[in-house]
Amino acid sequence: MLKLGNRLDVYEPGQLKQKFGVLLIIVSVVLTFLALRLWYLQVINGDDFRQRSENNSLRLRKIKPLRGLIMDRNRKMLTENRPSFDILFIPDKTRDIKKSIEKINRFYSLKSLELNNNLSITGKLKPFVPVTIERNTTIEKVAVVEIHSLELPGVVTEITPVRQYLYGEATAQIIGFTGEVTRRDIEQDITESLSAGDYIGKFGIEKSLDAYLRGKSGSEQVEINATGKIVRSLGKIPPESGENVVLNIDLELQKTAWEAVGDRGGAVVALNPQNGEVLTLISSPSFDPNIFTGELSPVEWEKLSKDPQHPMENRAIAGQYPPGSTYKPIVAAAALETGTITPEKNIYCNGAFEFGNRIFHDWKKEGHGEISLHRAIVESCDVYFYNLGKMLGVDTIAEYAKRFGLGAPTGIDLPREKSGLAPTRQWKKDRFNAPWHAGETIPLSIGQGFNLVTPLQLANAYAALANGGILYRPRIVKQIESPDGSILKSFPPVKTGLLPVSSTNITLINKGLWGVVNERGGTGNLLKRPQQDICGKTGTAQVISLPQNAKERKMKIMTEETNDHALFVCFAPCENPEIVIAVILENAGHGGSAAAPVAKKMLDVYFSRKTKPPERSPSQGAAGAHEAQKQ
Amino acid sequence: MIKLDRGLLLNFDWTLFILIAGITFIGLLNIYSACLSISTLGQTPYYIKQIQWIIIGFVGMTIAFFIDYRFLVRHAYIIHGIAILLLFVVLIAGNAARGSQRWIALGSFTFQPSELVKLTIILSLAKYFDAHQLSRGYRLNELLIPFLLTIAPFLLILKQPDLGTGLILLIIFSAIVLFVGMDYKSLLITAAGGLIMIPVVWHFLKGYQKERIFTFFSPENDPLGAGYHIIQSMIAIGSGGFWGKGYLKGTQTQLRFLPEQQTDFVFSVFAEEWGFMGGLVLLLLFFYLIIWGLKIMLHSKDYSGALLSFGITMLILSEVCINIGMVLGILPVVGIPLPFMSYGGSSLLVLMTASGILMSVSVRKFLLQP
Repeated sequence: MLKLGNRLDVYEPGQLKQKFGVLLIIVSVVLTFLALRLWYLQVINGDDFRQRSENNSLRLRKIKPLRGLIMDRNRKMLTENRPSFDILFIPDKTRDIKKSIEKINRFYSLKSLELNNNLSITGKLKPFVPVTIERNTTIEKVAVVEIHSLELPGVVTEITPVRQYLYGEATAQIIGFTGEVTRRDIEQDITESLSAGDYIGKFGIEKSLDAYLRGKSGSEQVEINATGKIVRSLGKIPPESGENVVLNIDLELQKTAWEAVGDRGGAVVALNPQNGEVLTLISSPSFDPNIFTGELSPVEWEKLSKDPQHPMENRAIAGQYPPGSTYKPIVAAAALETGTITPEKNIYCNGAFEFGNRIFHDWKKEGHGEISLHRAIVESCDVYFYNLGKMLGVDTIAEYAKRFGLGAPTGIDLPREKSGLAPTRQWKKDRFNAPWHAGETIPLSIGQGFNLVTPLQLANAYAALANGGILYRPRIVKQIESPDGSILKSFPPVKTGLLPVSSTNITLINKGLWGVVNERGGTGNLLKRPQQDICGKTGTAQVISLPQNAKERKMKIMTEETNDHALFVCFAPCENPEIVIAVILENAGHGGSAAAPVAKKMLDVYFSRKTKPPERSPSQGAAGAHEAQKQ
Repeated sequence: MIKLDRGLLLNFDWTLFILIAGITFIGLLNIYSACLSISTLGQTPYYIKQIQWIIIGFVGMTIAFFIDYRFLVRHAYIIHGIAILLLFVVLIAGNAARGSQRWIALGSFTFQPSELVKLTIILSLAKYFDAHQLSRGYRLNELLIPFLLTIAPFLLILKQPDLGTGLILLIIFSAIVLFVGMDYKSLLITAAGGLIMIPVVWHFLKGYQKERIFTFFSPENDPLGAGYHIIQSMIAIGSGGFWGKGYLKGTQTQLRFLPEQQTDFVFSVFAEEWGFMGGLVLLLLFFYLIIWGLKIMLHSKDYSGALLSFGITMLILSEVCINIGMVLGILPVVGIPLPFMSYGGSSLLVLMTASGILMSVSVRKFLLQP
């Protein structure tokens, strides 16, 4: 209030009269000037402009840009832009599209060609908005239309770039595909640069990096004649090509993995454990993304989208599987860190484990006998881990699993990643409104039960073991480059967590993983090679729970769907690992015999490619020393 | 803040309301014609969206009318601050989406904070000059705060980049400063400084912006780019003749020779279909609206009300002149909408809210105690 009283308020209503007068004059002069200009254009030069508007045969034509390329880490092209021939119809008051199509059909039949058209014309066509009669057609048909162009007013041919995926099914789930924009795409496009007929990314990297890949349309001013054909070009603004994307994917490994998996269902993930680069990501069965570049018939789409095998689901990031025995190192880490077990302590395994009134079997009927942690990992002894599970309890196991990155998305730069499941008491209460039974912890400790992981999570957890305890976010995309090669954006490694495991215990577990491959009786001996530098773990995940009674178990007929999932995870070299591979094959049987060969083929390619074959002495380092002591 | 008073309704400024409603309605009919030939692929047609925005704008107008404008002036800096913050948000989001971005998405609607700033800058300048009234002209140091209030959003908008809106901010600032009066010496220094700045500004203009200015001086040399737009616009307007081609019958419009025909070039559509007579009527309506705004300024009971009505009227005047001048080929092409006529929700919402403030000033000349 005081402030208001102090204010110098000199205003009095009406004092602005003079300024009002000046403003009135200014406004009148300016608007009169506009009115005079209007008079000049419309009345003095009106006839001239009317003439020009009637003869107006100038059009602006949109020129589609070349979409940015996608390449692997060694700059091998994964996509290309191929010219496509389209036949278009430009509506006008004087033309009828149905008659034009009839005529085209007649001309085609002379050359025994057939119009490949599933276009349904509904409602009135907008004048001068081209309608595609035939997309991605053959040069023969274009020739026919061009020859008869005088008889086909309004029908024009156009060459536009279309996307080609050079490695089809092998890279489909990563790269995705493009498709024609839909109404919703246009509505949701914030840049407001899309229009009907444009192609945009619909899936995978094509979708997530569409803004970079898309490029910018150019335009051309053309003079057209009465039939809608271009007579001459009066100048153009060239389109701007989209930006190129370089992936971390290693094409050679990717192809090797794809061929090794063959027609079996499953997924393969390979990572660089030192920084989270995704070297390989396979999901099988897959689909051919090239079918989306042409006119995809509803039948084809139906077939693809309703396939019970879900070929469009990326199993590597969205397939959730029980981890089976590949889970054991995590349980081992939990037991070591909590002091539940020491590496020296032996547990006796007679092939079965009794808990309450249930009997849990070991995969080896006769049992493993007195067994330590190291050999329990090497031989994948179930009973040993049943005991650990019983001592640890579900929530401690879950706590450690989560610190290994399980039960939550890894944050990979691909859409639709699933989180898997690291079950807890609270989870079961929320989900089923039922208490946790202690007996449910037992299968959990060997990766069965409610446990679910994605192949990517599994690879990432082992990558952390391999690199000494750091969890990285897996990255598919390495960098984005402008067409001239300068880097616009690069994606550096991102640490997402640290394993709650001491380096002593990590070394201990890794020794076990080394033994799986290199020691006698190890379940992954298939991968053993002279250098003895591969660590790994097999896993066999039961798809259905088997009846308790041994007789019934035998009676149960194993159909293919109920066959076990085969898992194998490995990293190499054991010292300073460069690559982690996780393989899951659905209903394929044992991890060591079914999944491990896929990893072996990939490692063979990986090592054979190195310019200098590794000549490291196997007796060096912790794992080597251990081997020496064993033998 | 809001007092429901019988006086508000008894003294309601019907002239102003009818002028704005009339121009908006003409604009709506015009957008319907402009978009008749545009393929929307089954999206909501522009004229329906415009109706939705008119309704939203009407709500804004009503709220602004009932609020005492002195309340708005009192909190002008906070409101202006929020608008600047929104500009920041857009800039950051724009960087993420790459390229030029001016929008904030609100569901299926998008909003341009730069439009909002046009109004908040008027509020802030009104607050400053109302609180610092002088009987002599303002010196440069006394204009530092108003300058900062303007230059902050101006730079952010330039970064978007949106030259047109930035220009409007500078015009509003200059108009208000000239209105409140400037010390002669300061005025001379500013003018000299401005001349020196021209080459500097030129250096910072983007390629396409320079091109537009070149094109303006010789449109025939660039019949494809910006020149194409100006030529087609002039053909459309000119071919309308004295009586026009008739509603929905403009060939330039319906055959889509006009660029941006529902936003920046709406006047061309209107002039083609309604001819010189239609264009003149529209100009007269705008003239009447502007004079009416200045009358509200003249009769305002207090200085802040006068400043507000002056600023809002100048906003409308400058947009009308620049937009129509541009489509008539006498000013360079800069993206400025035609008030109440162009399709575009943010501009309409802000202008209708501004009109609500004008009505609020108009009605309160009877209500406020001197």
